[in-house]
Amino acid sequence: MPAAFSRSFPVSSPSKNSTPEDWIAALGMAALCVITMLNVVVRYLSDESIAWTEEFSVFLLVLTTMAGTAAAALRDNHIRIEFFLERGSAARRRRLALFGAAITALFFLALALLTGRMAWDDYRYAEISSGLGVPRWWYTAWVPVFSLVIAYRVFQTIKRKEK
Amino acid sequence: MIGISLFLIFFVLMLAGVPIGVSLGIGGMVAIALANSDTQLFGLFAAPQNFYATIAKYPLLALPMFVLVGSIFDRSGVAQRMVTFAIAAVGRGPGMLPMVAILVAMVLGGISGSGPANAAAVGGVMIAAMARAGYPASFSASIVGAAAATDILIPPSIAFVVYSVMVPGASVPAMFAAGMFPGILAGLALIIPAVWLSRRHGFGKGETDQPRPPFWASLREASWGLAAPVLILGGMRAGWFTPTEAAVVAVFYGLFVGMAVHRTIAWKDLFEIFREAAEISAVIMIVLGLAGIFAYSVNTLGIADPIAHAVAESGLGSTGALLLLFTILIVVGMFLDGVSIFLIFVPLLMPVVQLFNWDVVWFGVILTMAVAIGQFTPPMAVNLMVSCRMAKVSMEQTIPWVLWLVASFVVAALLVVLVPELALWLPRSLGY
Repeated sequence: MPAAFSRSFPVSSPSKNSTPEDWIAALGMAALCVITMLNVVVRYLSDESIAWTEEFSVFLLVLTTMAGTAAAALRDNHIRIEFFLERGSAARRRRLALFGAAITALFFLALALLTGRMAWDDYRYAEISSGLGVPRWWYTAWVPVFSLVIAYRVFQTIKRKEK
Repeated sequence: MIGISLFLIFFVLMLAGVPIGVSLGIGGMVAIALANSDTQLFGLFAAPQNFYATIAKYPLLALPMFVLVGSIFDRSGVAQRMVTFAIAAVGRGPGMLPMVAILVAMVLGGISGSGPANAAAVGGVMIAAMARAGYPASFSASIVGAAAATDILIPPSIAFVVYSVMVPGASVPAMFAAGMFPGILAGLALIIPAVWLSRRHGFGKGETDQPRPPFWASLREASWGLAAPVLILGGMRAGWFTPTEAAVVAVFYGLFVGMAVHRTIAWKDLFEIFREAAEISAVIMIVLGLAGIFAYSVNTLGIADPIAHAVAESGLGSTGALLLLFTILIVVGMFLDGVSIFLIFVPLLMPVVQLFNWDVVWFGVILTMAVAIGQFTPPMAVNLMVSCRMAKVSMEQTIPWVLWLVASFVVAALLVVLVPELALWLPRSLGY
């Protein structure tokens, strides 16, 4: 089997040690199913739509995405072109792998700062969500937190690669 | 200048093996910073806003849900029963099993929305069955990989959900309806060379002696799976549910079939199914969100306009320009995965689409067909990678077979380029 040219589809291997992100992502997914299904059932039984759940579902979608991104980062499952990563001398391959991981960790640190500033602005200016009318930072504050978790998970893969 | 650095940074990082989403995000952020060097924090506040706004969208919820549907039906045991029924329906003989593989991949395409999940479900059943009937493993892997590519055309399709979120004016139901006939056409385009190659090389002679399963009994067994696309597509068409809700209904239906009817899914498997689906959809969603930063730079810096001007002045005309784009996209599709292609090229190509006044729904179908071809064209072919791994062959070994399938699929796609009605008739008559 030749080296894969690119990893475009995470063939995620079942893991024995599930991280908290795994649980958050899996439970977020399950909650999204239950909420959406309830929406359908309630609409048919009572002719009323519980549209306010939309905003909460979007929040769960963002949460699941960030948690799942951390889970995929730890398993090194993100979409990338592996052509050069898997060719050349062992030293070059190792350098490239470390470079990619370092850039990714730095990027998510920067994203944590920028999204943190976004959430801080939501808090400072008391932004209100359009659907439920709750403080918007309740939703946005999780994005920098998970960006930090992602950066940390990438950092863990760097330590693993160095060994 | 800024436009060039945007693409240069993106390409260099991507080729160096940096995750594609991160490459897009960095390219976009550097371009924003260069363009706003005199403002506070280089105008980078636009980056988190665009990232968040791109993924925090209700219609996008359909994406993780259809990924989950794929993960569930992959394990629900419906593929095996559909194969048995399809054999009962078409009979035994050289070329019949490849035809069955393609037909089952098409029906499963009406349930799940992603090619690799489909390749795994069909390959899990068909590759062993085709080996027993005397088909070479490299041929079986080619058939399964190519057949699964019809998945992103036949509704529901994750590719269409992504396109529809990016392009105003291309609603999810309209895209789904537009993909129906091109998907069937693509399936036919694969069946013809599959049967012809089998007969020419005398594959599957052992198949003739194998028993033909009883028709009615296998139809009853397969009916749970066959009802799923009817439920999903019919429910959407009848206005019972939105695309997202249809996916969730399919999730519960699939769990019921897998846990209570076919008993292939146990309670303890549930965590793994949800975890895996969450991870796979997150991998797509994070690229989507970070591509939002990239798309913002492309749009605000006016990078796409010179491309449109160049196409306009090239004198190619509408059809010529479309054929050129189509060729470029197939080549790019050999090296990049489908969702990334959409995220990079849709913002770049929209001015060209407006220039020639192309129908955005039709353009989305053509883009998806080009991406589908890339999914089984070596060297970088996601579906083929899955089926080769299952058949234990290298991708090089599939080349003598798979190139015929590629050529035939290209002809089907060119038909849709030249006859837009193939895509547009159904959404129009359904009133989308």
